[in-house]
Amino acid sequence: MLSFIVRRLLSGAVLLFVITTVAYALLYVGGGDIARRILGQNATQEAVAAKAAELGLDRPLWEQYGGWLSQAVTGDLGRSWFSGQLVSVGVSSRLAVTLSIVIGAVLIAAVIAVVLGVLAAVRGGVVDRIVQFISVLGFAIPGFLIALGLVLVFAINLRLFKATGYVPITTDVGGWIASVTLPVIALAIGAIASVTQQVRGSVVDALSRDYVRTLRSRGLGSGRVVYKHVLRNAGGPALAILAVQFVGLLGGAVIVEQIFALPGLGQLAVQSTTNGDIPIVMGLVLATAFIVVIVNLLIDLAQAALNPKVRLS
Amino acid sequence: MFRWKATAAAVAVSALALTGCAGPGGGGTGGSGSTTLTLGAITSPTTFDPAGSEWGNRAPFYQAVFDTLLLATPEGTIEPFLATDWSYNDDNTVLTLTIRDDVTFSDDTELNADVVAQNLLRFKDGTSPDAGYFDGVQSVEAPDATTVVITLGAPDPAFLNYLTRDPGLVASPASFDSPDIATDPIGSGPYILDTAATVTGTSYSYTKNPDYWNPDVQHYDNLVINVLADATASLNAIKAGEANGVKLANNDNLGEVEGAGWTVNANELDFQGLLLLDRSGTVEPALADVRVRQALNYAFDREGLLQALQAGNGTVTTQVFPETSEAFDPELDDYYTYDPEKAKELLAEAGYADGLVLQQPSSALLGANTYTLIEQQLNDVGIQVEYTDPGNNFIADLLAPKFPTSFMALEQNPDWQLIQFMIAPGAVFNPYKAEDPVIDQLMTDIQFGDEATQAEKAKELNRYLVEQAWFAPFYRVQGSFATDANTTVEVLPTNAFPAIYDFQPKG
Amino acid sequence: MLSRLLAATQISIAAALVAVVVALVLGVVGGLLAGYYGGWFDSVSSWLTGLVMALPGIVVLLAARAVLGPSVWLSMAIFGVLMSPAFFRLVYASVTAVRNELYVDAARVSGLRDGRIISRHILSVVRAPVIIQSAMITGIAIAIQSGLEFLGLGDLSVPTWGSMLSDGFAKIYNAPLLMLWPSLAIGLTCISLTLLANALRDALERTVSTRRRRREGKVNGAPAERTAVVGHQDDARAATGEVLLSVRDLHVGYDQPDGSLTQVVHGIDLDIRRGEVHGLIGESGSGKTQTAFSVLGLLPSGGRVTRGTIDFGGIQLAGAGEGVFRKVRGKRIAYVPQEPMSNLDSAFTIGSQLVEPMQVVLGLSKKEATERALALLARVGLPDPKKTFASYPHEISGGQAQRVLIAGAVSCDPELLIADEPTTALDVTVQAEVLDLLRDLQAEFGMAMLLVTHNFGVVADLCDRVSVMQSGLIVETGPVRSIFNHAEHPYTQSLLDAILEDGEPRGTLGSRKEVSA
Repeated sequence: MLSFIVRRLLSGAVLLFVITTVAYALLYVGGGDIARRILGQNATQEAVAAKAAELGLDRPLWEQYGGWLSQAVTGDLGRSWFSGQLVSVGVSSRLAVTLSIVIGAVLIAAVIAVVLGVLAAVRGGVVDRIVQFISVLGFAIPGFLIALGLVLVFAINLRLFKATGYVPITTDVGGWIASVTLPVIALAIGAIASVTQQVRGSVVDALSRDYVRTLRSRGLGSGRVVYKHVLRNAGGPALAILAVQFVGLLGGAVIVEQIFALPGLGQLAVQSTTNGDIPIVMGLVLATAFIVVIVNLLIDLAQAALNPKVRLS
Repeated sequence: MFRWKATAAAVAVSALALTGCAGPGGGGTGGSGSTTLTLGAITSPTTFDPAGSEWGNRAPFYQAVFDTLLLATPEGTIEPFLATDWSYNDDNTVLTLTIRDDVTFSDDTELNADVVAQNLLRFKDGTSPDAGYFDGVQSVEAPDATTVVITLGAPDPAFLNYLTRDPGLVASPASFDSPDIATDPIGSGPYILDTAATVTGTSYSYTKNPDYWNPDVQHYDNLVINVLADATASLNAIKAGEANGVKLANNDNLGEVEGAGWTVNANELDFQGLLLLDRSGTVEPALADVRVRQALNYAFDREGLLQALQAGNGTVTTQVFPETSEAFDPELDDYYTYDPEKAKELLAEAGYADGLVLQQPSSALLGANTYTLIEQQLNDVGIQVEYTDPGNNFIADLLAPKFPTSFMALEQNPDWQLIQFMIAPGAVFNPYKAEDPVIDQLMTDIQFGDEATQAEKAKELNRYLVEQAWFAPFYRVQGSFATDANTTVEVLPTNAFPAIYDFQPKG
Repeated sequence: MLSRLLAATQISIAAALVAVVVALVLGVVGGLLAGYYGGWFDSVSSWLTGLVMALPGIVVLLAARAVLGPSVWLSMAIFGVLMSPAFFRLVYASVTAVRNELYVDAARVSGLRDGRIISRHILSVVRAPVIIQSAMITGIAIAIQSGLEFLGLGDLSVPTWGSMLSDGFAKIYNAPLLMLWPSLAIGLTCISLTLLANALRDALERTVSTRRRRREGKVNGAPAERTAVVGHQDDARAATGEVLLSVRDLHVGYDQPDGSLTQVVHGIDLDIRRGEVHGLIGESGSGKTQTAFSVLGLLPSGGRVTRGTIDFGGIQLAGAGEGVFRKVRGKRIAYVPQEPMSNLDSAFTIGSQLVEPMQVVLGLSKKEATERALALLARVGLPDPKKTFASYPHEISGGQAQRVLIAGAVSCDPELLIADEPTTALDVTVQAEVLDLLRDLQAEFGMAMLLVTHNFGVVADLCDRVSVMQSGLIVETGPVRSIFNHAEHPYTQSLLDAILEDGEPRGTLGSRKEVSA
């Protein structure tokens, strides 16, 4: 168990190294005239050239990456080329926003999707068809529309929640709730749609297993079998799909962030990647890859706890 | 049991939500006697270091914490601010400023002439995109505590105007070497940045500076500037009452804004049109022929474009100088009419009866519709367009230069500044370095002339540029700033964002 | 507007298909190769999958856009690469699960080439989930297109739903219809894709199951007219106790999606006396397992007793509700399944799976139930009951698992034990031991037993009485000896001849199909 965790963390470290290399290379190739973008359209060509030299943009890729890496391993991610902000501060403040809404959305999606999915799989028939319909609908309605509808009803008409902006939880808990509720719902609806399908599928699969019949033949009620045995067995695949959703939403929340003017990771990713703000992008890449490594590890541990047959190797 | 719990939870959540909803918005007049002004801006400042600062839509972020040496007013005049007085020598190359002696920065450092001189020199050597404004500055000296002497290599008629903007920002000298200067500004302005409540790039919180030297322009206790990059998000903020003043990125939703009980305050700052950058014919020889450039001007249905792209919010024009300029001539707004036949004739005369192919960049940020319309109208006179999307490198490629012509929106600065920006041989937006002896002479006359000469020659220059068809402007586009029912503002004729000082609670 | 929408439709769907095809090719091929051959390719591709999943997609998309230009085709191809792990994981998991299954082994042994094994046995397993996943990814790809347009990172050169959607979004308040059409187009496409995928999956699954059923249909399809059952007189060895289970005119049918009913048992009579071991013998698909499940009330979904009665000690089980069955199952009727491993829940210890029913059915305390479970484990011949009690199913052998299941079946002291091919899945050496155990327990507990088998050897070993089933009907019934000596029905005779030809009766051939029967 412990050696498993250590091994996974080591391979995670290798993964981080490779990912940062890939990302740096991509940014290097696609960077374009970063200095021009930093200085804007009014700057002279001489000023642009000077800026490029100052940032080391005229040096070869391996030198730039080496410079970044040697600082990064000491924990110094540098400062944004555009805003001068410390990368660690910039990324972590954005991460707090995105994690707020993504974790919220995944939790809500998990609860609702499990209820709906189990209901559909166990009851079948009309219930199944209704649940299927709901989840197809959730999948089919563009996220823009959902977000906009929520804003119209709850922020503009009822003034219950905020239409734009983010209040840190440390500043004002109520304000935080008012600012994240609508984005969380907007994100959760899409996630519910796909997770429900998966849960339904794995419950149907688990229900058809021989041991379900055998347990029922021993006199256990079907409810008991479903809640104790079927759910536990269907839990593994459901957790895996939730993990995928979580990872996807980390960057995929960008549209919701944009609509609600939330200072999230996705927005930062779009801005800094299009600008070529390499220190920030690298910080982002590092942070998300690290989260992914950790989430995957946790999911594997949870899978093993749920089902001892999944050996940790 | 279960149901009861669920109900209780729901009540708790909505209670929290209700307490939270007292937070947002801050409708300008807080009940507890403290007032907050919440503004929506389109873009965030890249850095708070004045040496890297910018103006335009980023102005309010700086204006809140720093004072400028001079002040630009809504009336278009230049007034004293940190500098109480200024004067030029006879040949307009030495500018002497008198600095206030009663100003302290928020770190209690005192303002004096030496500090001002240090700031000006830092800007000259800094990373600001506008650092080029100070290219002509030869020296800055502070002979005594309240006098600053700036020596220019040659007269710069726009120089005083610069001091009302980013080059005129003054920061505490103690912050110059701080590693946090980009994020923790220390100035003498009406407000102080609350770094704890600020989320860089998105939301900037300021509190009133209690020791401000000019309390007349402090109309609020708190200032929040939120960055609303998406136009629909801005509109949502307006409809939900989450701000008091919002800069609108475009004119698509003016009806909705007014429908929400807000006021649209308008000015005209930018012109949009086709830049005929390669007017000297370096890569596209056809453009060296004035008849081709004129044909391009006749090819556009400006009124149609204004309606289609700006819902009519703006004024069609064929000149690049703004209405506030001495060079402005109302006749030049319709010098070229929409006349495709004439365009074809001119092209035929110039030897392009069989058509012409123009390379142009496109950008998704400016909307697909624009490019479709331009292409259609050019096709009608026999000109084909080949679009390339340079992605993030739009500006860089434009200035490299890689494209002989391009659709673009450019700011209409005060005359000399405008000349230095898009007309002079070294201007950023004259990337092919086109030159014309007539224009050179007029520029010299303006630079060294007195005010009356400047105005007269600028007018001449304007007419010459239109006749020579150096540009193919479509229209001046309306800049719109929305304010709610509790807030008034006066827009500046010279900047996209109103001055912080000009916002006031209504009534 | 309409023309733009139509043009956009082509581009959007084609571009989304680019993404799906790239993801499919990379994911499915990679998953098949990695899962089937394993080795270094397995490690490398699994690691690459982890890499792709850990890369922030939006950064890759944008960076690639900066390098390659703002083409919707390229964006979608990159997106396809980013999505390929979804397919890879799916296929990889299915393939590794199937790779070591018996039938794949059998196919390999019988000399089928890898390519053929992959296409026949493995692709058919992953086909359905891959189709569903493809529909989802097409939908997501369309959403990503509009997302990129929304962020101003679209492709101006071609019209897409995404560009229309983001145009519409910008003007949502003054021209809401602009957003309606592309939204409708996207929504309808996603809905139809999902429905299409579901239909396609169902169609594929149905062709598999109808093919299977048709194969069986030769045996049980047309309900041959009910000929008279050949009955034999009871002899001395046959028990003469009170009738415990009395089945009369039992019909079992399955509802089909088209509303029709496929009958698999066409009206049988069956009596089991207290203390009697009754063999129910027949080929695969003859309806014997269906009969057994009807008595337990555990027919697979869609199946039901359509006619007839099942009288169990005075309780009517045909058409009875869950409440009736719950009182009967475990305590009075117990069940020993065919496949030991799949009938234990791999997520729980063996002990807890034994203890739980005793607590529920007998109302024992946890401690009492544990003691009884340990005693039962010892009784069924497991050498270290405590260790087995604490083990998980994957930690014990098939033979041990079957003993555990038998212990579970008798744990609540039932009156009737239904054993469905209890030895078929076991090694030949273990089969005899398990049969001995069943016989001993039957005698010890005084249970009646319905032994479902296709093996006359087992019948001869264990049964008092036997009924021969063919095509959903009982064709001959009577005391074992009588049937062995004087089989009258040609089908019974052919079954008996088969043992004689093969010599020692063999357990495994042809039996696997019955798992699903």
